[in-house]
Amino acid sequence: MIVFVVRRLLTSIPTLLAVLTLVFLLVRVVPGDPAIAILGDRATPETLAALRAELGLDRWIGTQYFEFLGHALRGDLGTSMVTHRAVWTEIAEALPHTIVLTLAAMAIGCLIGIPSGVWAALHRNGTIDVLTRLLSLLGLSFPVFVSGIFLLIVFALQLHLFPVIGNPRPGDWVDGLHKLVLPAITLGIVMAAYVVRVTRSSMLQVLGEDYIRTARAKGVSRRGIIWRHGLGNALIPVVTVVGLYVGILIGNSVLTEIVFNRPGLGKVIVSALTQRDYTMLQGMMVIYCFLIVIVNLITDISYGLIDPRVKQ
Amino acid sequence: MTLRITLSAALAAATLVAMPASAAPKTDLKVGMAAQDVGQLDPHRAVSTIDRTVVAWIYNGLVRFKPGTMDPKQIEPDLAEKWDSSSDKLDWTFHLRHGVKFHGDFGDLTADDVVFSLKRASDAKTSAFSADFAAFKTIEATDPYTVHIVLARQVPSLLGLLTNYSGGYIVSRKAVEKYGADFTRNPVGTGPFAFVSDTPNQSLELAAFDGYFRGKPKLEHVSYRYIPSDSSRDLAFQNGEIDLIYGKQDQAWINRIRALPNSVVDVFEPGELANLNLNITAKPLDDIRVRQAIAYAVNRPELVKWQGADTARPGQSVIPAGYLGSSNDVGLVNTDIAKAKALLKEAGYPDGVTIKIIHTQLPQMLGSMQVVQAQLRKAGINLDIQVVDHATFHQQIRKDLSPIVYYAAARFPVADIYLTQFFHSASIVGKPTAVTNFSHCDVADKEIDAAKAETDTEKQVALWVEAQKKIVAAVCAVPLAEALQIWAHRTDLDYGYDLKASLSLGPLLTEATHFK
Repeated sequence: MIVFVVRRLLTSIPTLLAVLTLVFLLVRVVPGDPAIAILGDRATPETLAALRAELGLDRWIGTQYFEFLGHALRGDLGTSMVTHRAVWTEIAEALPHTIVLTLAAMAIGCLIGIPSGVWAALHRNGTIDVLTRLLSLLGLSFPVFVSGIFLLIVFALQLHLFPVIGNPRPGDWVDGLHKLVLPAITLGIVMAAYVVRVTRSSMLQVLGEDYIRTARAKGVSRRGIIWRHGLGNALIPVVTVVGLYVGILIGNSVLTEIVFNRPGLGKVIVSALTQRDYTMLQGMMVIYCFLIVIVNLITDISYGLIDPRVKQ
Repeated sequence: MTLRITLSAALAAATLVAMPASAAPKTDLKVGMAAQDVGQLDPHRAVSTIDRTVVAWIYNGLVRFKPGTMDPKQIEPDLAEKWDSSSDKLDWTFHLRHGVKFHGDFGDLTADDVVFSLKRASDAKTSAFSADFAAFKTIEATDPYTVHIVLARQVPSLLGLLTNYSGGYIVSRKAVEKYGADFTRNPVGTGPFAFVSDTPNQSLELAAFDGYFRGKPKLEHVSYRYIPSDSSRDLAFQNGEIDLIYGKQDQAWINRIRALPNSVVDVFEPGELANLNLNITAKPLDDIRVRQAIAYAVNRPELVKWQGADTARPGQSVIPAGYLGSSNDVGLVNTDIAKAKALLKEAGYPDGVTIKIIHTQLPQMLGSMQVVQAQLRKAGINLDIQVVDHATFHQQIRKDLSPIVYYAAARFPVADIYLTQFFHSASIVGKPTAVTNFSHCDVADKEIDAAKAETDTEKQVALWVEAQKKIVAAVCAVPLAEALQIWAHRTDLDYGYDLKASLSLGPLLTEATHFK
């Protein structure tokens, strides 16, 4: 297993290097001048030039790139062009919120999605199956900014169970948990909708396999067939979808964080993009990429755990 | 019976405990701003509405607009208690108040801070407003409480430059030297509210400055929250989680918020005038007949109707209404589609003309531009709009990449500044002295320059009016509509003054602002 993990980590290095280069070029290819974004419409060309020099943007792009690469490889992502705070500091403050939200949404997605998918498969073409598929279609059809606002109107404005502003008080985990509920449900619903569909189809396929028929003939209990022989084998595509979907969740967290006004990487990256804060954008993209690489790694390891053939 | 009495007593006791000792009004103000984050808290670089609104609560100028107004005639003492000037208005002496303190442990305000601040505001390396101070020859402290300013030439409103607006804010020299580049996130001023903390992308916290020279503010704490989602911000206001909210220049929004209980919508000056700036050097707009056709095709009342009667009014000139020197008799033409078509035909475009332009994706600006697009189409002028994000828009229009630039702005309410920045040849984009002259207009340079040096106000105003007439005649720009500032607050919030105008574009919070 250790060799497997090390091998996967080593193959991630070129990916990260490619991402560093691509990110550096991308943020500069995007039109928009950070100096104008910062100083606005009344600044003279002289003032704009002075700020560009202050930000180091007047230097040759190659110099900027190698400096960025050198610093990034040493773990230094620089300081924000706008806030003058270390990029790492802002990431460190925002990242836990995004991770908590993603994990909570993933948990909701799996807890609702997997049992519902199994249930639907067991009642193929029955009322439960049709209802589950319909609900799943609804879940997929609602963008998070619509379902988020809908939840806010019902649970915050009408029922007064949750606040609209979801910024948790620092150090107060009860408050944090309270304000996590609606955003996590918003994100979790979409994931549950995906997981239901994949679990259902995978389960249907597995339940039709010969070994299941054999197990039934051997007198294995219904519960044993469903949960051990059925679900155990049906989980591989589900894990793939969950792994892939974590990337989508992190992306969707941008909208969720904005709708619920929660801190997180999404808000930081949108802010950096709006203000053309190159260093912050670069840092954020590196972190996003790193997160995706880690999630893929965990997914691969999970395959190994579920299906020992993968390790070979 | 005993049980009932006991329960009643317990309930009464519980109610008493739950009730506050006295119904004291709250002192924490929560503001909801349409922003991802604040940009610059260094007042000399604070340019966006997001930044300017909050900077106005932290800093003072030597003089100020009377709270709630933007009338240059109502400028009153702020950090300077009095001032005098030479008869030629080139020599100014300001006498500072004694005992004015900076926030934190940055000590008393002295003339040294004022000189430092004004020199900083006039330095292109440190200020976005340096162009405003081009006429400043010397700024000196003659004693710890006296500042002497000598101008190289007359400026239309020196006091205007020294107000609590743009480059006029006074910063603590010690704080700027201590924090360096980080001063932008560690602002130190003399205003009623002092910076406490900033959580990026979340909120900015301010506390009442006990040592404020006008007395301790009635509000104790101000939380300036960045809520970029319009829907979430409105819901938070509706739910009572915020007390003061940045609004939308949209009649439907105004109507909806007005219908809420305990809510007041603030509609105030300045109006931001949107002009269609036409590049008179770019084809096909280098032909005045095409520009005239555009002027005839634009329908201002229709645009105002679309924006909303409470939030917009028709543009009356190429500078906003109400500015010193503004006139509503500058020769604007009314909509006449037949005439527009005839002019196009005369210019050699009998089948119409297509013009490629760049425009921002900001919803309000994009919506207005689409209305204009539909109006021009009736006359055979097709605007091929390339929509880009706002930062890209600002960059590309400064590279002269769009022959028509829709631009909305408010400036200090004296005609000179608007005319200079948008229509003087020195301000043409691409030049080293460029500001925002997107039309390459140079037809009124003589009048604009002459007005700057004119000491007789009547003659000065006449020159400004003449400049506007020339610009309108040359169709360097077509005025569209002026959009007023829209905010809303809860009924128990009292600003402490009558809010008619605010040049910071947000309600000013003063020592008198309080909850009833």
